[in-house]
Amino acid sequence: MSAGTSTTAPGRGFVGPVSYLRNTALLTERSLRAIPRVPERLLDVTIQPIVFILLFLYVFGSAIHIPGISYKDYLFPGIIGQSLAFNAIGAGVATANDITEGVVDRFRSLPINRLSIISAQVMGQFCEALLGMVIVVVFGLLLGWTPHLTLVHAFELGGLMLLAMLAFVWAGVLFGMLVRSPDAMQGIGFIVVFPLSFMAGTFVPISGMAAVPRTIAQWDPIAALVASVRGLTQGVHSSGSWQLDHPEVAMALWCLLIIAICVPLALRRFNNTLAG
Amino acid sequence: MFNSPLPAIEAHGLTKRFGDFTAVDSLDLRVETGTVVSLLGPNGAGKTTMVRMLATLLRPDAGRASIAGHDVVDEPDEVRRLISLTGQFAALDKNLTARENIVLMARLRGRSARAAREVADELIERFNVGEFRDRLVKNLSGGERRRVDLAAGLIDRPHLLVLDEPTTGLDPRSRQVVWSTIRSLVADGVTLLLTTQYLEEADALADRIVLIDHGREIAAGTPAQLKAQVGQQRVDVVAADGAGFERLTARLAERFAITALPEQRTVSIAAPDDVADLRRVAAAVQDSGIEVDEIALRRPTLDDAFIALTGEPPEGVPDREPEEVAA
Repeated sequence: MSAGTSTTAPGRGFVGPVSYLRNTALLTERSLRAIPRVPERLLDVTIQPIVFILLFLYVFGSAIHIPGISYKDYLFPGIIGQSLAFNAIGAGVATANDITEGVVDRFRSLPINRLSIISAQVMGQFCEALLGMVIVVVFGLLLGWTPHLTLVHAFELGGLMLLAMLAFVWAGVLFGMLVRSPDAMQGIGFIVVFPLSFMAGTFVPISGMAAVPRTIAQWDPIAALVASVRGLTQGVHSSGSWQLDHPEVAMALWCLLIIAICVPLALRRFNNTLAG
Repeated sequence: MFNSPLPAIEAHGLTKRFGDFTAVDSLDLRVETGTVVSLLGPNGAGKTTMVRMLATLLRPDAGRASIAGHDVVDEPDEVRRLISLTGQFAALDKNLTARENIVLMARLRGRSARAAREVADELIERFNVGEFRDRLVKNLSGGERRRVDLAAGLIDRPHLLVLDEPTTGLDPRSRQVVWSTIRSLVADGVTLLLTTQYLEEADALADRIVLIDHGREIAAGTPAQLKAQVGQQRVDVVAADGAGFERLTARLAERFAITALPEQRTVSIAAPDDVADLRRVAAAVQDSGIEVDEIALRRPTLDDAFIALTGEPPEGVPDREPEEVAA
């Protein structure tokens, strides 16, 4: 055998933009292959909303009366907004899992751009989030949810939802890397995301809440998601704070803010702390 | 084969701290191209941390290391091209099949889809993965995973192969299979850095052993040199009762240089000739007609090595290194 670099055949070009895209695609494909093989991973983003739908529609719903709208049509936008935020938990658990598996270390020891590893993680989680959302929406339509969407609103809603999925997936990936334990990530989800998603006007109007949760809800990013979906699909508008008066703008701003904070932190964490 | 002028690994004063805990403490290491060096030490000795620094996964706090002349901190891309790492916890995607894992690694190393399949099939053949090539890795046994892991690490013939505890947790039969795989790689002239907790494994595979504990070098040398320091293997004969032990001591002392351990009713005999000595002792015991509970060949263990070299057994330390404290 000869000495030096000649023993590893392919030369340079592993770290350029073309190979970045190529490797990101390869690693994303790896994540997606796991979906049919570990379908329980999708449960996080499907069963939970479906359980909430059934509980609130058929158990609690009869006690909740919202003037001017059927509870079914009130509930589904709430569930969609909540599901968007729950993507952070799913992405966090999956990331914590992946990082404890050691396979990420192996990828990091390869002569590839490390950015492609984390990009693929986000892409894979994003696709799972999208699939989960499609299932929840279809389930809702089957149960008789009737959104009233103009074409413009449909595009606006679609764009906002994609942006929100991206933002909450990035947040999940960041926290998954910080926490590094899938169980701890579930715990954070229950302690932080769960209550915020319940206070967000998801199941009952914010205006009827006690002062403390009402104040929180007025500035809860998840409330902006719920209010946007509800506003665009049912024409029901909420009020009580700037973000509830302008939910679509607030939702976009929240998502951009989350992305602006989480992306650089996640990249730094991935490159520095795990890399040492 | 000829020796490269540049060593495959050259490390000086390499140090890594996790908070107050110093995992690797000013360690030097030199691995010549074409040789097999084993880092031997108990859990928590700093083996994995050392490997992770050499593989550009951890940044050293002090010291320098280079792979074939390329600095691990300044030229990480070069280093990653030269090395192949298989980790302590079989670093495969458990939701992919054995073959999919190897194909993915080949593609990430720049092969086209077709070339990746070809090289994967070659490796599957070579590492006897064929039987379970289409099973998901999560359904494979530890030994099977290790073989897939090795195959996935040898897409491009690496300048340096790093195997981090390749047989930890394997049953003896799987360990033999992994050993024979490693031996065939070594016969091919692969430069190998192998970490292990087993003296036996380092002895069987390495040209040179570096014994470490608490991140420091305790001893280094060829297996023969280290074993000479550690002491020979021995045959232990355990008598069935106290009276038997007395008679056994007397009888065996006539023919062998013995050490009597009355508390264990054990007569211990140096066995430089391995199984041949075991046979001679067994024959002598048989002739004596004295009843014994056990006749066994004891090879020196890592614990024996530590006791011999440091005067104390290796300390128990946590299995996993503590998480690095974020900056």
